[in-house]
Order: sequence, then C-alpha cells, then structure tokens
Amino acid sequence: MARSRLEKIGTIYSRTKGLIQSGALQWEDRPLWYDLYEAFPPLEEPRFDRPAPNITLKKIFYEEDKIRALLHNRNKHIGTVNMFNNQSHTLTKRFIESYKKLDEQYVGTASEDVLYNETIELLQHERNKPDDDHISLAKSFKEAQQSGNPNIGIKVGDIFKN
Amino acid sequence: MFVFNKATRLSYSALRTYSASAVLNPTIVEHATTLPKAERTDPLLSSPDYFNVHNLFTVKDLFEARVHYGHKDGSLDERMLPYIYGSRLGHLIFDLDKTAEYLRRALNIAAHTAYRDGIIVFFLRNAQNAHIVEKTAIECGEYAHTRYWRGGIFTNSTHQFGAVTRLPDLCIFLSTLNDVLLQHTAVRDSAKMGVATIGIVDSNSNPNVITYPVPGNDDSPSAIQLYCKLFKAAILRGKDKRKEHLVESSSEKPTL
Repeated sequence: MARSRLEKIGTIYSRTKGLIQSGALQWEDRPLWYDLYEAFPPLEEPRFDRPAPNITLKKIFYEEDKIRALLHNRNKHIGTVNMFNNQSHTLTKRFIESYKKLDEQYVGTASEDVLYNETIELLQHERNKPDDDHISLAKSFKEAQQSGNPNIGIKVGDIFKN
Repeated sequence: MFVFNKATRLSYSALRTYSASAVLNPTIVEHATTLPKAERTDPLLSSPDYFNVHNLFTVKDLFEARVHYGHKDGSLDERMLPYIYGSRLGHLIFDLDKTAEYLRRALNIAAHTAYRDGIIVFFLRNAQNAHIVEKTAIECGEYAHTRYWRGGIFTNSTHQFGAVTRLPDLCIFLSTLNDVLLQHTAVRDSAKMGVATIGIVDSNSNPNVITYPVPGNDDSPSAIQLYCKLFKAAILRGKDKRKEHLVESSSEKPTL
C-alpha cells in the first residue's frame, strides 16, 4: 500500500489525505481510523513540529500554607503520615483548624506566637484527654481484674460432654 | 523499439509530469475537494458519544487513582504545559478537568475502533504494571506488547514475519516512554506507518506525534489499573454493539 513514512511532516491524517487526493491511495483502501479522525478530530493537530506554548508554570499555594509553615518550621520531626488513611486527620490539619478557630476567637488581635503556643497547648490537652469509647485489650483486662472473678458460668468439664 | 526505449529511459521524468498534472488537472482537483465524508452517511459518527463513554468515570475517580500527580518540575517537557494545573512545592499537578476531556475523546476513539473490528495493541514498558496490561488485553480480546521493542516490527514487518502483515489500527500507549526515559520507538513507528495512537503522556513525555494524547500520571499502579479498566470497558462496549448490529443485519437479510 502507498505510504509516506515522513513522520516529521504534517500529521498521519494530512499525509493519508494527500495520498488519497493524488490518487495514490484509493478511497476504499483508506485506513480504519480515517473516518474516525474526520468525525472526531483531536483537540490539537498531532504534528511533530508543534511548538511548546508560551505559558508560565504557576505555583500552587493555599492561604493556610502560612500556618502550615509555622508548625513545620518549629517542629522538624513530626513523624510519618499514612497517606492511605482517610479516617483520621493529620496533625498538621488539626493544628490548622484549631489555629484558625483561635484566630477567629481573638478577632485577629493575637500575635502569631501567642496563637501558636495556645494551639499547641490545646492539641496536647486533646491528646491527653481520656477517651471513653476507646477499647483496648489492656484496658479491658484491667477492668476485668478490678471487677474481681468473672462469673461466666461455664465448667470446663461440660464442654466435652455430648 | 526506439519509442519503447525512450519511454523507459524517460520514465522518471514521465512520473514527474504525471504528478505535476495531478496537481494541475482540474478533474483530479475537483475530486479532491469533493472527497466523500463518512460521517454524512454513518449515523454512529454523527453522534458525539455513541457508546456513552463519558459515564465510564468521573473526575473524582481520576483523583482517587492519583492521575493528577506529575513528575518533579525539573523534568517537565515544555509541550505539556497546557495540561498542567501548577506546581505544588516542586511537584507538577495535572489539570484533571482537561485530562477528563482528553480521556473521554480517547475512549470514544477506542470504542469506535473496536466497533469497526480494528486491531488494538496496548503498550507499556514498565515491568511493575506489565502484567495487568497483558491481562487487560486478553480480557478484551486484543493485543499487548510490554517487552523489548525490536526495531522494525512495524516498519519492516514483511521481512520480520515472513509475509505481508496487517498492522494494528490503534496503538494505546499506557506510557509513551520506554524503560530508560526515552520515547518508545513504537510511537515514532506508528506515525511512520500511519497508525493512529492514544497515549497517556506524563509531565516528562512529548505529546506531539501522539494522535490522541491523554495527560496524566503513567507510573502509579492505581492509575494504570484505572486506564486499563476504562479502555477495556470502552472496547467491550464497541464490540458488544458490533455483535448486536451484526445479529440485527443478519436477521434482516431474509426479509430483503
């Protein structure tokens, strides 16, 4: 089949179209994608020599990055974060939320240092707070020990009886 | 005899005059301007999304599959700039709205190619994700090439396979790079041989000769799994419709 192998000139469509127009390729022998290309042309022409557009790369920053930087500048070893965990919030996120709340309470009058220290205190207080619904093996063992001998009502001998 | 000799001797210039006449000959030029267009006759091509591939995924699916992560900004290929949302502390982030649009167009083309009984080949030179790509190809009844690319498989196929070979109609590159961060040779060879291509182009790839580029992450297994799932679904939709229409046309024949 007639074919132009000059992939640096034009596009696959323009080269094939040229062959059809000049009669080197029969309309019936056109490639399968030819109709698809005409019906759904790509958004940009797939030319080898398409120049790079003159766009400046923008930097992504958020407003709360200032607060994030404040925490991370003063604490270099925060620990690893499990990014697959969607259940709980990271320390940084909790810090940012508490910081923003405090800032609202002070109506912007408090300095950065005061807010930072108070937020850290708040987070530490939250961490030390006894968690009521938290169930751990050690805790339930302790509770069982404190309640004395558990009255389960099962005799070992009964288990083997049929 | 003399005339014959002259004719053979002058065959080259005769060819040149033929090609010149092809440009000047009004009947041929007229034929060129009135090339038939398949979309006028084919109802499938006049519909913008016949196989409903737009409902295969949402932008949130892309986000959860980590499609938005590019490479570090030092490795950026400048031709990828229009598809990139920005740089977050040195890491490039893709604009998923654009990715979704390009991916939907690519899925549409894949479905139409499958409908027309085209041969589709998946390419990936990443050992970690190669198996899932090969599995996907088997599941949708198409082909995959995830090993070392011997030059000339497309460009010298008649010699390599010992017979005239039908080349694929669509090449889907799940990464357009080979395993040493150079462009896969099959990208160039497809363009040479006039084979349409779909390619997932990461921030360090060149999107230029890919017919239907899709900007997005081409390294994460989750992203590759998503692409495989989507292309498989699109291809199977095309094939199912084809079967449906074949059954319809064969049942219609006796009445005609």
